Amino acid sequence: MLVQLLVTGLALGSMYGLVALGYHITWVTSRTMNFAQGTAVMAGAVVAYGCHVGLGWPLLPSLAVTLAALAAYGIAIERIAVYPFFRTASPAWLLSTIACGIIAENTAMLLFGKDARAFPSALTQQPILVGGAGFYPQELLIPVVGLCLVAGVQYFYHRTSYGKQLKAVAWNAEAASLMGIHIPRAVMAAYALSAVLAAVAGVLLAPILNVAATMGTIIGLKAFAVAIIGGLESAPGIIVAGLAYGLVESLVAGYLSTGAREIVGFALVILVLIIRPWGLLGSRPTRRV
Amino acid sequence: MRYVCSLLLACAVALSLSAASPAPAASPLKIGLAAAVSGGSAASGEAIKRGIQIAIDEINAKGGLLGGRKLELVIRDDEGNPAKGVTIARELVEREKVAAVFGGLHTTVALAQVPVWHELKTPYMGAWAAGTNIAQNGKKPNYVFRVSANDDYADRYLTRYALDTLKKTKPGLLLENTAWGQSNEVGLLKWLAERKVKHVGIEKFNWNDPDMSPQLLRLKNAGADVVIMVANAPEGAQVVKSRAKIGWAVPMVAHWGISGGRFAELTGDLSDGVAFLQTYSFFGKQNERGQALLKALKDKYGVKGPEDIIAPVGTANAYDGMHLIALAVAQAGSADGAKVRDALESLQAPYAGLIKTYKPPFTADQHDALTDDDYIMVVWKGGKIVPVATK
Amino acid sequence: MRRIGWIILAAAVFGLPLATANTYYLYVGASVGLLTIVTAGLNILTGFTGQISLGHAGFCAIGAYLAAILTVGAGLHPAAAALAAVAGAAAVGVVVAGAALRVSGPYLAMVTIAFGIIVEGVLVEWVGLTGGPGGIFDIPKPTLAQGYLIICAVAACALWLVRNLRASPWGRAFLAVRSSEVAAESLGLSAYFVRIVAFTISAGFAGASGALFAFLNGYISPDSFGLQTSILYLLALLFGGVGTVAGPLAGSLVLTVLPELLTSLVDYRLILYGLLLLTSIYWLPAGLVGALAGRRAAGFAAAPAPPAAAPSDAPAAEGQPGALLEVAGVGIAFGGVAALAEVSVQVPATGIHAIIGPNGAGKTTLLNILSGFYSPGSGTVRLGREAVSGRPPYAVARLGIARTFQTAQLFGDLTVAENVAVGIAGRRLGNVLGAMLGAPAVRRRERRLAEESGALLAAAGLAEWADRPADALPAGSRRRLEIVRALATRPTLLLLDEPAAGLGPTEIRELIAELSALRDHGGPAIILVEHHMDLVMAISDRITVLDYGRVIAEGSPGEVRRHPGVIEAYLGAAG
Repeated sequence: MLVQLLVTGLALGSMYGLVALGYHITWVTSRTMNFAQGTAVMAGAVVAYGCHVGLGWPLLPSLAVTLAALAAYGIAIERIAVYPFFRTASPAWLLSTIACGIIAENTAMLLFGKDARAFPSALTQQPILVGGAGFYPQELLIPVVGLCLVAGVQYFYHRTSYGKQLKAVAWNAEAASLMGIHIPRAVMAAYALSAVLAAVAGVLLAPILNVAATMGTIIGLKAFAVAIIGGLESAPGIIVAGLAYGLVESLVAGYLSTGAREIVGFALVILVLIIRPWGLLGSRPTRRV
Repeated sequence: MRYVCSLLLACAVALSLSAASPAPAASPLKIGLAAAVSGGSAASGEAIKRGIQIAIDEINAKGGLLGGRKLELVIRDDEGNPAKGVTIARELVEREKVAAVFGGLHTTVALAQVPVWHELKTPYMGAWAAGTNIAQNGKKPNYVFRVSANDDYADRYLTRYALDTLKKTKPGLLLENTAWGQSNEVGLLKWLAERKVKHVGIEKFNWNDPDMSPQLLRLKNAGADVVIMVANAPEGAQVVKSRAKIGWAVPMVAHWGISGGRFAELTGDLSDGVAFLQTYSFFGKQNERGQALLKALKDKYGVKGPEDIIAPVGTANAYDGMHLIALAVAQAGSADGAKVRDALESLQAPYAGLIKTYKPPFTADQHDALTDDDYIMVVWKGGKIVPVATK
Repeated sequence: MRRIGWIILAAAVFGLPLATANTYYLYVGASVGLLTIVTAGLNILTGFTGQISLGHAGFCAIGAYLAAILTVGAGLHPAAAALAAVAGAAAVGVVVAGAALRVSGPYLAMVTIAFGIIVEGVLVEWVGLTGGPGGIFDIPKPTLAQGYLIICAVAACALWLVRNLRASPWGRAFLAVRSSEVAAESLGLSAYFVRIVAFTISAGFAGASGALFAFLNGYISPDSFGLQTSILYLLALLFGGVGTVAGPLAGSLVLTVLPELLTSLVDYRLILYGLLLLTSIYWLPAGLVGALAGRRAAGFAAAPAPPAAAPSDAPAAEGQPGALLEVAGVGIAFGGVAALAEVSVQVPATGIHAIIGPNGAGKTTLLNILSGFYSPGSGTVRLGREAVSGRPPYAVARLGIARTFQTAQLFGDLTVAENVAVGIAGRRLGNVLGAMLGAPAVRRRERRLAEESGALLAAAGLAEWADRPADALPAGSRRRLEIVRALATRPTLLLLDEPAAGLGPTEIRELIAELSALRDHGGPAIILVEHHMDLVMAISDRITVLDYGRVIAEGSPGEVRRHPGVIEAYLGAAG
């Protein structure tokens, strides 16, 4: 049973981490984020379903179209809901991204339908049995892909010149601007990347969670919790927090009860923030006087 | 401040302008549907809508009611939120002047609306939510009627099937953590106690949970020889998938919720052998109304066949419910709520309906048209629903 | 005009049950009222102190369940149960605020979201008390018309309480904390404490709304109080206009009625709702009321200054010989780099003590240690007999140390007179309940505060600006206002951080005159950090020179000017 709980926990946890990384990326570049990031998870799964099942395309072209579509979705969110309020003091971007989320979810419901559909995957046909428990190969694939992507994003930020430019924006926008970095474009790129990561999570989870217009809400919310307890500024912290949250959830559901899962999970979120107000691996910003 | 005043004025004008103008005699007779048509349970609202609409089309094709008034369906979204449910209940009655209202899936919404029907004297026809105390609500006179399952009867039926037909002695309960699950927990415990059988455990899960194997493992370790499940299709599918994951071939008996959605598609061949309760099945030989309904679903909504009907019970219940209301309006000779209510309780003409022949559907004490005598037990087999023998 | 508007509004609202028997309109009206009560409270938290909560549905739920359990279970009278519900929600609010307000921004949003989810979870799980997911039935309820009138009366009352609160020392403290936390703390306000009070009040309002919701419907269940509900509260507030008194009413009205107008669209309804929200955010970034009414400062009008405004009372300098401030061996390091080392300075109870040095010498760091913003790594700071080091800034301010900042930290949303009033009141905000009710004692004190701030502004030549927002002040006057505000706290020691930065020659001459007058009329001791040498040499009694975090010279202006080390430091730094 423990093995199984660990596998389930790691699979979900790595996806929380992946989606949470999306919050991190846009937050550090622009001090804004898409509060309805969960809809990007849903949109990824829905578009992939539309291509793969609806139109009957093979998996790879479907994936390519999905990622391109979601990059466009991210840019659209940035242009419509964030850019007009960029670096203003008002929390208008919070409202506008929520509004975009409402529109996206209900448009999906109109186009995709109201009931959950199965996303076929060769990796969820037969479970692997280990002792008294078991898991689907997909559940093993998810954390592997998730962690590879995280590593890729880190590589992009630390080793490639464009990534370093984005990081410079995150570090000091004014200086980056002086260095000739086009900040609005950097923010747009951050939003595109963030939506793409969410889409990957959506596609990976689709065979397990099924595809539905409302599937993103809870994942988006828990990913937000993960991004916060990991420390919005700290990518490694977010990955650690994501895996930890997934495991805690799975273990609480396994050994206590499902009802206790959300209560314990979110109580831990509060506890972590009381002990480490800026997240597990985040650092307190020095007070400027 | 001035602006707030003008805003208030504007809102008042907008609200009253959008109100329906008073109805002349030949105006349509409106029927309301207050159900979830957005959010996670939207499919249930869609299914109920189809059942009512097809019945309305049939009635209108025969010239409508009360000397030629056509019926018209007015749909409102309750979003699964009780407060919203109360608002739209009042709106349907007060602004749209509906003659009767159909209800949706959420037991909590239906419970919150009960006082409104009583206060506004409007008949309510439950087409889905099975919570026992919706129809048995203690109000006099009672405006709530139901052509749907009643958890209390359903639980007796499920208990009997598990204990008598399957001859199992150690049932484990697996319930969704909602008002509906709670209603069934009460019912199942009551009927198991009556049979002096002890359950081996009660496990719960939340909506959208991806993995139910811990709950199943606990039941397995407790020695359950049958699992009685109360779930809707998405979660029911996860239960079946998790059952395969832990390699446990335990028989499963389910309440009807798993038929609301694409359970077979979501589970593949894992669903084979899962038995569940229905008020009606579109598989197999159909009576006259069943054939007509299938054809109408195909023509109007592009439904390819029985396996493509997303929530068959919602459609079937709503279809019969609509015809019963039409008969009551005809008998009362009026769309007045109190008169229609009285007519529903004392319907003269027998109605040969889709699910059964109702004679009579309701009495003063019995507001559930369907009881466990009318339920059928079915199993999934290769993505189709096949009736099974019960005793 | 404004009053007539409110009267017409009240007549329309309370006349509705007479005009129509349509229970739908009454119920929608009651829903507007319930939303107004919550958002009026949320306005205190979000509009005034600038903190966001996405968990207020949790407080609504606590109010609703307490009211229901106390009436159904314990047989309490509904009115008593409602009061208990408000108290209960506020009590939980204190605890949540204590944990939540240690963080801000998205972190705070998360803590409040988590709180809301935990409440929902407990309501579902604790079946014995709450009835579980099925909820509680048969809560005694009034007729709909009665319920409507009660709710409207409470909503009107809520708006009135918030208006009173805004026009009290508490209201100014809330806005001050949002505008500039450091400045508020330097005036003796604990930002944490002030925000906890705001959070608690808003939780109480939400509890009231929840209790009324329970009585209106007679039935409650957990699914009325989810995250979506919390989001709706915030949307309504932001939509109506954050920080304005009528904003919560306007936002609640539109966000309740608008969905009703869209109901017949069913499947397209929520898409349209989202689109309308989005477009309105473009056109009304300040919310409905903000856009329609323009920005109007809600503060008090400063009273005309009494003719011959006497300078402020002599501070409580005991005239004791020896040092007022004693800095002994203070050191501090940032990231392993020593910013200050072994700094010892003694400042007497009167006179002007300048601290100079090249850029990066550690002058401002020293000032931040003296005012409690930094805690020294070694050494001690004492003011008289009291230890300064180790205390938070607001506690240091309460010891009698006031300060200004390199870039003036004014409370931009408050008027100039209100800025000064924040300084005069300091930590003495009074009874918050009295402030909400507009008690006579509170009003008398407001008049006194207005007079005092008017007098201080007149003396500083800022009288004509008194009722303008501080943001409108020209640069030179901003600095002057900051000094007036600091002096309004009646400090024994005033720390000035580069007061001459950005001033022209005339203004500098005025500053020299003002500081000299302050010294000669028994004002507080002054520590002056300044680059402008003419100013320093003209008015300082004593000068300490810092370089690379160490004291390299100390003495009278003449002595310092001739000190070889000083000359070298400045020449070396000049390149």
